[in-house]
Amino acid sequence: MRSTTIGWLMLAPTLLILTVFGVVPFVYVLVVGFTDWNAFAADPTAHFAGVENYRRLVFDGQFLNSLWKTLWFAIFAVVSQVVLGYFLAQLLMKDIPFKGFFRTVHTLPLMVAPIAVGATWRLLTVPGLGPLPYYLERWFGIEYRLGTYADQAFLTTIIMDVWHWTPLVTLTMLAGLASMPKEPFEQAQIDGANKLQIFWHITLPMLKPTILATVFIRMMDALRTVDEVWMLTGGGPGAATRYVGLHIWRVVFPKTDYGYGAAMSLLTLYLTIVMCWLLYAALVARRELPKAE
Amino acid sequence: MRSRLGTRAAIATASVLAAVSTAHADFWSDAAAPYKGATIRGVSESTPPSNYVKDVLGPAFTEATGINVEFEATSWDQMYDKAIKDMEAKTGIYDFVYIEQDIIYSYLARDFLVNISQALKDDPKLASPDFKADNFTTFINYFKNADGDVFGVPMEAFVKVYLYRKDLFEDPANKEAFKAKYGYDLAPAKDHKQYRDIAEFFTQWGKDNDQEVWGSTVQAHTGHPASWYEFFESVDPTFGVYNWGINPDGWSASEANGGAMNSAKAKAALEYWLGLLKFAPPESTSSTWDEVAASFAAGRAAQGLVYGENAAWIATNADKSNVVGKVGVALPPLEDGVLQEVEAGKGYIGYYDGGAFGIPYSSKNQQAALLFLQYIGQASVQADWAVAGSRITHQATYDDPKVKEMDAKTDGYFTLMKNDGKLFAGAPAYPFHAQVREATAPFFYEAITGALSPSDALDKMAEAAEAELKNLGYRK
Repeated sequence: MRSTTIGWLMLAPTLLILTVFGVVPFVYVLVVGFTDWNAFAADPTAHFAGVENYRRLVFDGQFLNSLWKTLWFAIFAVVSQVVLGYFLAQLLMKDIPFKGFFRTVHTLPLMVAPIAVGATWRLLTVPGLGPLPYYLERWFGIEYRLGTYADQAFLTTIIMDVWHWTPLVTLTMLAGLASMPKEPFEQAQIDGANKLQIFWHITLPMLKPTILATVFIRMMDALRTVDEVWMLTGGGPGAATRYVGLHIWRVVFPKTDYGYGAAMSLLTLYLTIVMCWLLYAALVARRELPKAE
Repeated sequence: MRSRLGTRAAIATASVLAAVSTAHADFWSDAAAPYKGATIRGVSESTPPSNYVKDVLGPAFTEATGINVEFEATSWDQMYDKAIKDMEAKTGIYDFVYIEQDIIYSYLARDFLVNISQALKDDPKLASPDFKADNFTTFINYFKNADGDVFGVPMEAFVKVYLYRKDLFEDPANKEAFKAKYGYDLAPAKDHKQYRDIAEFFTQWGKDNDQEVWGSTVQAHTGHPASWYEFFESVDPTFGVYNWGINPDGWSASEANGGAMNSAKAKAALEYWLGLLKFAPPESTSSTWDEVAASFAAGRAAQGLVYGENAAWIATNADKSNVVGKVGVALPPLEDGVLQEVEAGKGYIGYYDGGAFGIPYSSKNQQAALLFLQYIGQASVQADWAVAGSRITHQATYDDPKVKEMDAKTDGYFTLMKNDGKLFAGAPAYPFHAQVREATAPFFYEAITGALSPSDALDKMAEAAEAELKNLGYRK
């Protein structure tokens, strides 16, 4: 009994912080999502609007388009990061020259704030100023116009995200690879398994928990990306990179449509949870079903 | 560079102090005595006039009163974000906020701001003898309510002008080649056809001479409202479409319902403006007002519509501009009949931009902020501020010798503002400014990328504007 009380007391600061900064804002957003509150409406006070905001969302082409684009952005970015991160981690497992230096430099983007990453990439990519458009045109004849061509802007936001976050994936993969026992690999080599078989039957299954954790963290991050893209493209050209986080920001702040924006936030949170659950079910839960005796 | 800037700021602060102290030495210290040691916080967009307040007027005020000034000069988006959140939540973080002319109606509708006239009447001890609303240009009227009470002290005002490269326009070879090709003399454009011809001519000239010069700037960012503003505030009116094409009688935007947002004139205006993109520097679709000024200053455009706050540094600051001494200033090109309409009081030819500082009701240091706003509104600080930021808010500033000297260097920008400022206007008095902009901007961006035709884009924008106005409760 006494130890339980001490346990709760020790948990109290964390619970308090979670309640104040997690539960209360969530409940607030939940309540606001059922109102028509817009700070600059003819009547700026909040009124209960039932599920009207959610009904509008289902038919809101701009919101649905931003969700769809975000999903593609997250899939492309996260898959690229996982593949690239795995190969870089494998490289760092080997005894290569300047390994320490490379590892330090490779990790540097992680320490840069997203807004600064966006600003840096903007300087790199703005025509007339940035080196990227200049050399792409000069060397390859590619007309690179981030503000004009939707596909270029979309691709650039993915590359920027990959540049920023691949080091995190590399570090987690490195930790996963370093913690693997050597015996299964030695045994497989003795049994004559080739590299692909070792990767498929030993490395991948043993690395799965690491990959899953990384994918979940990065997927959730990618789904709520705002700062970098806001700085790089502002969501343009048109709505090409107006990902859902940026779309919600525009609705809530410049447009001050608090009720509708809150509903958007909640629906996006719900869809994120559902997506992560589906991903988990597809990759893990299915294989954890009780086996027949 | 940094130490040079610091020295400049120190010299400017000293000259401000000298100017102010000769006028009313005792008022500031006496009136501020109860608030000595207090700190007032303000937020503004980072512009040359704002930075002058941050670097010069703020420290001078502190020196004179003992009241500290924390001044946050940030991006346009962040400035609004922070100010509105603070006033909406009544947190009282800011004691004065920048009020751009176009947002004042929204703030007044929400009673966000302190009535400065009334506050000074209620507490005459705080009223500076050197602060008089009558000293200001008519721009101060934008910051008054229906009763004539002032809610913001103007700190910057300028017109969005037509800048052109005098060196290119006056080059005899260019004049000859232009006349041979187009059949009339090369001169600052009076109408849109001439503007387009000149843009085409200098774009080709840049290619022929292997120079990175294009025919015109275009503020056409495809994800930032700057492009929307350039069209609705500076291009649409030159075709005779005013107030964004929204008819306040029933708050309609579409032509079918009595508006003009998608009228034939508006469609011609958008087609013309988008047509300039092929004569514009490649950075244009990533350009806001800042990048447009930078492109012109870098010598990458022969002409363009540029916000007046940048005119002085583009024309005179060799540290930042490649076109010092080469800048000409003129009125924007117009369609036939527009000038007559405007002179008859039916519209305007471009944007009279600017802003004021106001005090949020939520401020915890309203008296100290009131003193600060009067300090920056004194006649004695205006001339140096005008030279530093090419802004004028006092009528008398036009006649100051320093301003006249700068006027000559900027090809008469201040004279143009003084004589023709009446042809320009601020944003319409809409309390739903940002809401309609945000509702319509996505279609506008798609017109720039070519995903929508100008006609379709304006039709969709008019429809979206009306839907938004209905949603906000203005349109029945």
